[in-house]
Amino acid sequence: MSSTTLPRRDAPLSNELRAVHEHYRGLLRTRRLYTVLGGLGLLVALGASLWFADSSNAGEFFDRLPYFFDFFIHFQPDEPMEIVRALFDLPSPFADGSFKYDYEVGRVYLSGDLYLPEYFYQMLVTINIAVISTLIGLVFAFALSFFAASNVTGSRAVRFAARRFFEVLRAFPEIVIAGMLVAILSIGPIGAIVAVSVHTIGALGKLFYEVVENADTRPDEGLRSLGANWLERVRYGFVPQVLPNFVSYALLRMEINVRASTIIGAVGGGGIGEVFRLSIGRDHAAKTYAIILLLFVTIIGIDWISGALRKRLVGQSAFQFGG
Amino acid sequence: MLKISNVSRRFGDKLAVSNVSLEIADGQMVGIIGRSGAGKSTLLRMINRLTNVSEGTIEFDGVTVSALRGKALRNWHRDCAMIFQQFNLVPRLDVITNVMLGRLNHRSTLMSLLQIFTEQERLMALRALERLDIASTASQWAQTLSGGQQQRVAIARALMQGPRMILADEPIASLDPRNAKIVMDSLADINRESGMTVITNLHTLDTARAYCNRIIGMAGGAVVFDGTPDELTTDVARQLYGAEGLQDAFSEAMTSTSLEPAARPAAQRRELAETH
Repeated sequence: MSSTTLPRRDAPLSNELRAVHEHYRGLLRTRRLYTVLGGLGLLVALGASLWFADSSNAGEFFDRLPYFFDFFIHFQPDEPMEIVRALFDLPSPFADGSFKYDYEVGRVYLSGDLYLPEYFYQMLVTINIAVISTLIGLVFAFALSFFAASNVTGSRAVRFAARRFFEVLRAFPEIVIAGMLVAILSIGPIGAIVAVSVHTIGALGKLFYEVVENADTRPDEGLRSLGANWLERVRYGFVPQVLPNFVSYALLRMEINVRASTIIGAVGGGGIGEVFRLSIGRDHAAKTYAIILLLFVTIIGIDWISGALRKRLVGQSAFQFGG
Repeated sequence: MLKISNVSRRFGDKLAVSNVSLEIADGQMVGIIGRSGAGKSTLLRMINRLTNVSEGTIEFDGVTVSALRGKALRNWHRDCAMIFQQFNLVPRLDVITNVMLGRLNHRSTLMSLLQIFTEQERLMALRALERLDIASTASQWAQTLSGGQQQRVAIARALMQGPRMILADEPIASLDPRNAKIVMDSLADINRESGMTVITNLHTLDTARAYCNRIIGMAGGAVVFDGTPDELTTDVARQLYGAEGLQDAFSEAMTSTSLEPAARPAAQRRELAETH
């Protein structure tokens, strides 16, 4: 049926159509050339970096592979129930006065006989670091990202300053900042909060201003046309548009920050990371597995909560399909 | 022949389309009119199956379209091409590729993903564009085109599907009168030359009168009028649009295919001027 609708296939081309066709073929050839060149470049880079990694490695990957499970064979609790006792600070039947079985010592008493097991308390310390750092990072990244976006801020100097600021903040890994701060602020969560916050501002700021730059500028044009000032334009032309993406990135950052503050614990930031380093370093298998279990459940829980939160904040309509 | 039997659609507890039954013979140019919220768009989207029916059946040449799934459903989407009010092109893709996307259902997925099209498909797309008089825009990004041009690209894409009917959901509601006329003329040409069924939702009575040989009026989700343009009297129009909406429905100011300036009564113009 289409043959009657479209002009016949063998009909001669008009001059205009032939010119358009030639022009498009030229464009297509150029684009294909760049695609092939880009692909080749990528392959060369991949090959070179693999070769470099291999030559700088001791090259024992395949030699060491058979020993992969040795660690788990030697690193076992006295009985599986020991893991549960370590997790909930219950007395151990193996207790011999050593640190290995002193599960009850870490109890954090809330009132009377009601206590919070040590690892739950430490997990809370870690989550607390992550939540506070994410909030601090969110506030600063939100406020500054609009100054870094080229479709919002006209001044090159301001944009340059804002972007370099984000870059400097995210240049240092959390663990490096935390390591330096331990010397100043001593061991504990305050240093960790500062370290994670600094990195969060830098990382979120970059993602945020890129979201802003991808926003549709027509609402902003509409607001400009009715005499809105800069702040009003940001508030109504951009914020409602970018908010769903900001929420997604902020929640993703919170998940990342839970992991980051766990790791920072291991270099003296307090929280679950610190007790994990101690227990694995002292070869306390039951405690180590208890912490791994708790971390696993927590991370899954946080993913789940942040997913539910995003749905709430962004609105159901963004997730509906067809129907 | 398209046969719609007792079709309803519910959104939550709101009834958008209520117990509609229609038979549309091949080759008709049908205009569906009614005020916004009358269920026109939902009905059209149910025919294309972008929206599912809540109750009832839709059949085309004996096939129960409303029950299709998977590959058969995608083939049905291809067979009844859809034109949208906001064009729904891919903005950051050149015009000719947008048009060639109309062939997606006919081609291998791998070649489509790699964006490799044949010489023949390129020529086919160019000819479709030339038919709508916009071949010179072929290598531009779709988003750089004006609304009227974009709608013509959308029609060219629809033609590439090799459809058996064309559905148009308010195709001229966001266009100026001149472009509206070009778009409606193109749809009428396609209907006349290929005998393809065209069903189009329209806001205004005069456009429906000028282009369609059958007019269906909807109000509150139900069909309240079905006949030729001659049978559409002022009484029927009043029923469709309500007494206060009637002026707008007949007015050429909203969206019209006529190039004459809007002829509002002087009294109403003065009234408007005073309130602002």
